[in-house]
Amino acid sequence: MADQVETRTIKNSTAQYNVILCSGPSCLHRKSKELLQAVRRELVRHGLERKTEVILSGCLGMCKKGPIMIINPGYTIYGGIHEEHIAEIIEAHLVKNNPVSEKIINEDHLFNRFYRIFGDVAFFGKQMRIALRNCGILDPEKIDDYLSVRGYEALAKVLTSYTPGQVIEEIGISGLRGRGGAGFPTGLKWKLTAETDSAEKYVICNADEGDPGAFMDRSAIEGDPHTVLEGMLIGGYAVGAVKGFIYIRAEYPLAIRRLEKAIAEARKHNLLGKNILGSDFSFDIEIRLGAGAFVCGEETALIQSIEGGRGMPRPRPPYPSVSGVFGKPTLINNVETWANIPVIVLDGADWFASIGTEKSKGTKVFALAGNVVNTGLIEVPMGTTLREIIFDIGGGIPDGKKFKAVQTGGPSGGCLTEDYLDTQIDYDSLAKAGSIMGSGGMIVMDEGTCMVNVAKFFLEFTQNESCGKCTPCREGTKRMLEILTRITAGKGRQGDIEQLERLGNMIRKASLCGLGQSAPNPVLSTIKNFRHEYEEHINRKHCRATVCPAMVVYGITDDCIGCGACVRVCPVGAVSGIKKNKHTIDQEACIKCGECYSTCRFKAITRT
Amino acid sequence: MLTPLEQIKKMRALAINRIIGSGYLSTKRVYVGMATCEIAAGSKEVMQVFQEAKKQGLADVYVSQKGCAGRCNLEPTVEIVEEGKIPVKYGLIDKEKAQQIIERHLKKGEVITEWLIK
Repeated sequence: MADQVETRTIKNSTAQYNVILCSGPSCLHRKSKELLQAVRRELVRHGLERKTEVILSGCLGMCKKGPIMIINPGYTIYGGIHEEHIAEIIEAHLVKNNPVSEKIINEDHLFNRFYRIFGDVAFFGKQMRIALRNCGILDPEKIDDYLSVRGYEALAKVLTSYTPGQVIEEIGISGLRGRGGAGFPTGLKWKLTAETDSAEKYVICNADEGDPGAFMDRSAIEGDPHTVLEGMLIGGYAVGAVKGFIYIRAEYPLAIRRLEKAIAEARKHNLLGKNILGSDFSFDIEIRLGAGAFVCGEETALIQSIEGGRGMPRPRPPYPSVSGVFGKPTLINNVETWANIPVIVLDGADWFASIGTEKSKGTKVFALAGNVVNTGLIEVPMGTTLREIIFDIGGGIPDGKKFKAVQTGGPSGGCLTEDYLDTQIDYDSLAKAGSIMGSGGMIVMDEGTCMVNVAKFFLEFTQNESCGKCTPCREGTKRMLEILTRITAGKGRQGDIEQLERLGNMIRKASLCGLGQSAPNPVLSTIKNFRHEYEEHINRKHCRATVCPAMVVYGITDDCIGCGACVRVCPVGAVSGIKKNKHTIDQEACIKCGECYSTCRFKAITRT
Repeated sequence: MLTPLEQIKKMRALAINRIIGSGYLSTKRVYVGMATCEIAAGSKEVMQVFQEAKKQGLADVYVSQKGCAGRCNLEPTVEIVEEGKIPVKYGLIDKEKAQQIIERHLKKGEVITEWLIK
């Protein structure tokens, strides 16, 4: 948080220059903070402090050459700098406009190009963009734009000088794990599919994004569809497939249109089809539309849906890598996973493996939503803490309210409290904290949120989306929802919490697929972290966030001047009183709509 | 026979040529966010204003759409990039504001600070 204040002091939206100092762990270790002081000092000495914005960024991904300093415009990268170099660099570059060449490093990397283009560096400073590297930078409907930023070069490199085995090895070294949520090692998945002997194999891109409030895949496809195609082509080459499917829901018409256009343009340039770029490799991609069932994000249900059947999961094994679409070995990865592939090939697996934590490499895209100032689509290196995401990038909680909880992983994830804010983002830490990485939904909640109601909301969703194949999920979620509905309606009974826990644990263990296995998570994690709220609802019929209508009581205080505004808006005539005298509310008649509360200008109406 | 790598490099050179041919090297480049969410916030209308201005003879400006820039609460966003300068990004732009950006920023070079994304 201290960094935040420091960087903001010279924040200047009409600056002529940006000086960006890397404060990733490796650069911090090499004293990048001391460098910041030196930069400040030099800027003041030359009278440039008002014309220059100084930013402490997150890891810039060039750890081996650190400490790193970037000067914009121009994206000049200085590496291996120490305090004694600062004076020279600032004077030469910013005063004489003649950059110090011996400290400049020439990096032609694909990631983080946004620093060259995006104007609001402070918001992006803690981010690192790999999967979204072209998102918001290119025209997604022009293949020329993608080609101009080394598009399809990774594919060409692979076709020119890699055997399929070498590609798989590279992906393995990178440490990339599935971005759909479960975090299965991608290299291993590719290896298993490649090893299965079959003349016919398939590749699938899972773009069936269904979590409420999540829009990572849609944005990634709409912003840069060719990346996904290129990733799939490389995957197809590696496992020996000739055909790929993109499974995307029909609710994403623009994403579908852009994909169709991208596929057509790629075919025209011989990047899809027979003998791609003059090689022996042939591959084509087809789009399959889903009808928007949440369960079709589960791989076996998705495969059934592609085959034309009803989207229902089946037991595994056999895994799709052995028996997938039409019973053939199938490689299935999520949109974000595919988008990472070209970068790994071009910027190097070793480089990719140097980003992130020990067991989770690279970055993760999140859809930041809820009670947070900067809602947005972000991509951060693994190991970034929840606090950094919510307070540094997200800008904290609006309207001066207090943070209450953050929900990661959508309807399959859990709610984490303030105590967990310093949890690092990676598959294992989030699981240990009682939530999951998931596909990247992140919903921030303030003190005005009722946790029982939140749990009910997510369970309503999963209960609706349960495909009905297995009993624990079909019946169990229904019973849980009944109990939650009862509790929020003020009719909770002793033993309800225990019953929810029993049901939840049973559904977790006994359900067939990931939907059922994770459906109780929002309930179980809110019981774990906010048990007192459940108890208040049941024992005292009290909702501290004043969200559950049945438990809210409206009253009128002595501040009432008897203006009658509340009388006019009450739809059931529950408010009455003599003009210019204190009014009263008939509790029997009140339907708790809250109209009077929001209308009163004198704050004379209470909600408890 | 060219290798795939040689072929793709040739394709890239041609692509860059075509992009330059379409006016990329203009003094100012304008990018309008056009993902589903931005369109829902009204970016299509904003885009039309810029395209219309080009038709009416606004010279030395390259207009392009782009994907999601990640600033959900400030959409539609418009970015103006000028070689050798820090890019300028405007948030919450509508038709009227777009017209003013053309008049004040693109024609006269004045950065309208109150609409900037801080």
